[in-house]
Amino acid sequence: MASEAKKAIIEPLVSNNPIALQILGICSALAVTTQLSVALIMCLALTAVTAFSNLSISLIRNHIPSSIRIIVQMTIIASLVIVVDQVLKAYAYETSKTLAVFVGLIITNCIVMGRAEAYAMKNGPWNSFLDGIGNGLGYSLILIVVATVRELFGSGTLLGYTILQPVSEGGWYQPNGLMLLAPSAFIIIGLAIWVIRALYPEQVEQPDFEMQNAHQVPAGSHGGAH
Amino acid sequence: MSFLRRTLDSIYPHVAEGAKYAKWYPLYEAIDTIFYSPADVNRGRNHVRDGIDLKRVMIYVWLAAMPCVLVGCYNVGLQANLVMQSMGVTEVMGWRGDMLALFGIGVDPTSVWDNFWHGFWYWFPIYAVVFIVGGFWEVLFASVRGHEINEGFFVTSILFSLIVPASLPLWQAALGISFGIVIGKEVFGGTGKNFLNPALTARAFLYFAYPAQLSGDAVWVAVDGYSSPTALSVAASGGVQALQEAGFTIQQSLTGYIAGSIGETSLIAIAIGAAFLLYTGVASWRIMVGVATGVVATSLLFNAVGSDTNAMFTITPQWHFVIGGLAFGMVYMATDPVSAAMTDWGRFYFGVLIGLMTVLIRVVNPAFPEGIMLAILFANLFAPLIDWFVMQANIKRRGKRYAKA
Amino acid sequence: MQKLKRRSWGGSGAARQGGFLNLPNDNMIKTLGVAVLLCLVCSVVVSTAATVLKPMQVANSLLDKKKNILAVAGIYGDADVDTLFQQIETRVVDMETGNYTEAVDPISYDQRKAANDPQYRVELSKEQDVAQIGARAKYANVYLVRDGEQVSKYILPVKGYGLWSTLYGFVALEADANTVAGITFYEHKETPGLGGEIENPRWQAIWDGKKLLDQQGELALQVIKGAVDSNTPQAQHKIDGLAGATLTSNGVSNMVQFWMGENGFGPYLQRVRSGQMAANGAAEAYTAQAQTRG
Repeated sequence: MASEAKKAIIEPLVSNNPIALQILGICSALAVTTQLSVALIMCLALTAVTAFSNLSISLIRNHIPSSIRIIVQMTIIASLVIVVDQVLKAYAYETSKTLAVFVGLIITNCIVMGRAEAYAMKNGPWNSFLDGIGNGLGYSLILIVVATVRELFGSGTLLGYTILQPVSEGGWYQPNGLMLLAPSAFIIIGLAIWVIRALYPEQVEQPDFEMQNAHQVPAGSHGGAH
Repeated sequence: MSFLRRTLDSIYPHVAEGAKYAKWYPLYEAIDTIFYSPADVNRGRNHVRDGIDLKRVMIYVWLAAMPCVLVGCYNVGLQANLVMQSMGVTEVMGWRGDMLALFGIGVDPTSVWDNFWHGFWYWFPIYAVVFIVGGFWEVLFASVRGHEINEGFFVTSILFSLIVPASLPLWQAALGISFGIVIGKEVFGGTGKNFLNPALTARAFLYFAYPAQLSGDAVWVAVDGYSSPTALSVAASGGVQALQEAGFTIQQSLTGYIAGSIGETSLIAIAIGAAFLLYTGVASWRIMVGVATGVVATSLLFNAVGSDTNAMFTITPQWHFVIGGLAFGMVYMATDPVSAAMTDWGRFYFGVLIGLMTVLIRVVNPAFPEGIMLAILFANLFAPLIDWFVMQANIKRRGKRYAKA
Repeated sequence: MQKLKRRSWGGSGAARQGGFLNLPNDNMIKTLGVAVLLCLVCSVVVSTAATVLKPMQVANSLLDKKKNILAVAGIYGDADVDTLFQQIETRVVDMETGNYTEAVDPISYDQRKAANDPQYRVELSKEQDVAQIGARAKYANVYLVRDGEQVSKYILPVKGYGLWSTLYGFVALEADANTVAGITFYEHKETPGLGGEIENPRWQAIWDGKKLLDQQGELALQVIKGAVDSNTPQAQHKIDGLAGATLTSNGVSNMVQFWMGENGFGPYLQRVRSGQMAANGAAEAYTAQAQTRG
């Protein structure tokens, strides 16, 4: 049991990361990562929603009629998201203004629905709760990496503190404007996937077809002889 | 056997498979095949017999860019010297000034010699940096992946050095080409597998990352604190009339003595390059014809529709061709065989798409004065799809013919 | 399948034979029951959260607005926001007449929402709408910075279309209602590094001390392309354009032209300049301040 719990929380971090391997939740990863502080709040919100939606769905999993299964999950998730949104507006107003619609969009985040359907419907409450936390942390890991790169190189700051003094404030650093645009998050996520797959080659998909290796240098017939 | 051959042969055992320096084989192979034709033969089923290989193709493109380099250097120097003369400045600041002083070169805008060398010391450092950094990435990836070094970066680096403003900071040039080579090409498997033009990817990266150094009016003449609008930004403010009032003429664009990116201003130089590329068969005439068709059709359409508020609607096709980077992009960038469409008709449609998008971005989009860079990158993405449709159409047609027989 | 689904909670099925939970999951009654129960629980949770947290949210949103106003007044950061805000009197101006109005409560009136509210919305014709905002509210908030009895600054909310988005900000004017005392933007989506530079404090500092009106009393303040030649007499009406962001610069220029012009705060500023408002404003200062404190 303990090993199952451990697996639920450790696996989604790298080896089964929701963003890097399952390619879920990309939309919010693009939108909320220009500032690290905002990304952190988003991570917290998503982890909380995933964990508690997993927990509540797992608790009542044996009584959910299969015909209204998805609606039940949606209702629970939506309620949790509204609560989180209200809490943020009350306790972290500045950040919630920046997050704007993206907190609400956690409802449509595939990670939450995916875990509810794939894990919480089949597993006990405690393990489901941990699985929610694990997946939330996996998502957070990528978001933090992306947000760190984007804020550091895009604005020269981290969590609002100036690290690289920008030229416009009398420093030397020329902020990279691309980092503040959404496409940069795609590129950074892509590079992160590259790194992860270099470390875990088993994540690499099989190629659809083999390229013919036509130009092969046989041993001994190197170079030109003419 | 010559001395060179003996030297290369004596090195071979050290870099052969399993030897100590096997990682360096790609570099060895690259040098070897510059001087000698490779002796290895095809092992697979596919055979193409042609005297021209990838390396020659790349060198032809590099040669074709030379007229633009020469005129570009002259023009960069001319523009700078003219402005300095009008400002009453007689000495170039910084290390470039030292360089010019060392060779005893003045800053007289009427002297071809002075202009060329002044411009040369703007273009050459950019090219050198781009070449070294681009080469570094190419060698690194070739060594790690164990494939041969491709000369693609020769072309990428020279083209990239011609499509940036002369005042580009060198570190940005290095960063840009790194992005272009690594993200635009190597991550997809290197030359031949990239679906984007690496030089344009590099420029697009810089354009969005450091817009202050790649756009606006202050960057086109290599004199600090002097801003001169490009023909395109003048056109955006008042159409053909504004262009003529500001003193732009089509003749000027033909010779290329106007402010702009280093190599894109002279139509004559580009035409020489185009003739060479078409003669050698390296560039596809279908793509060029396609681009021209797209530009003419779209701009005539805009001319006909007209607009009270947007002066770009009135720009006629001939002006579209002579201002901005359209001609350069059409000849050197759109015809990149790797990222363009592969089928004959596909190439034509691919070109039309570029022409259409270029004019569309120039005229309608308020934020980007020039459209050719984004248009080509956009069309690059669609090239495989265009080919697919062309091939499907072909299969259908052949199917019909077969059914009849 | 049926057997599996019949499994009850915690395996104590025998004890609760015939109970609701023991019904098969696909049973109509159970399905409806689960749905109703779930909806009940969720709505209670959601509405509780909303009600309990409401006061804090309202306070937050008010605080945020106050911060922006204090920032453009140049007095933000020295002390607690509410203490500082006591120097500021919130009033509502009828844009048409340029007079203060009591038609709406100045504290709760939300100009941004009012611009979309049919009751307060005033459509702008194409000629009037230089700032490309479509419509403006009938009434506008103004914030008066008090220095004892005297009004030392007028803070006016402004908005206008830039390149990609509507820019929201405040313009502060000195007591003469002609000299700019500051400009800030608190919401926009312009390109970072180009149009986004409207946030740059250095650029905003250029505005300080510029004059709205020229010698003839015409509205002359505008953002020009390129740098301003400080030797010309017109320099005090001109602002350096942002490099590479002509359209955003034009947007800011148009925004100022609109809001300081006759369809914006023009009538109001005219009254202030002619001295009609100073006395009027001061007399009612006490009631307004009391409201702010309350």
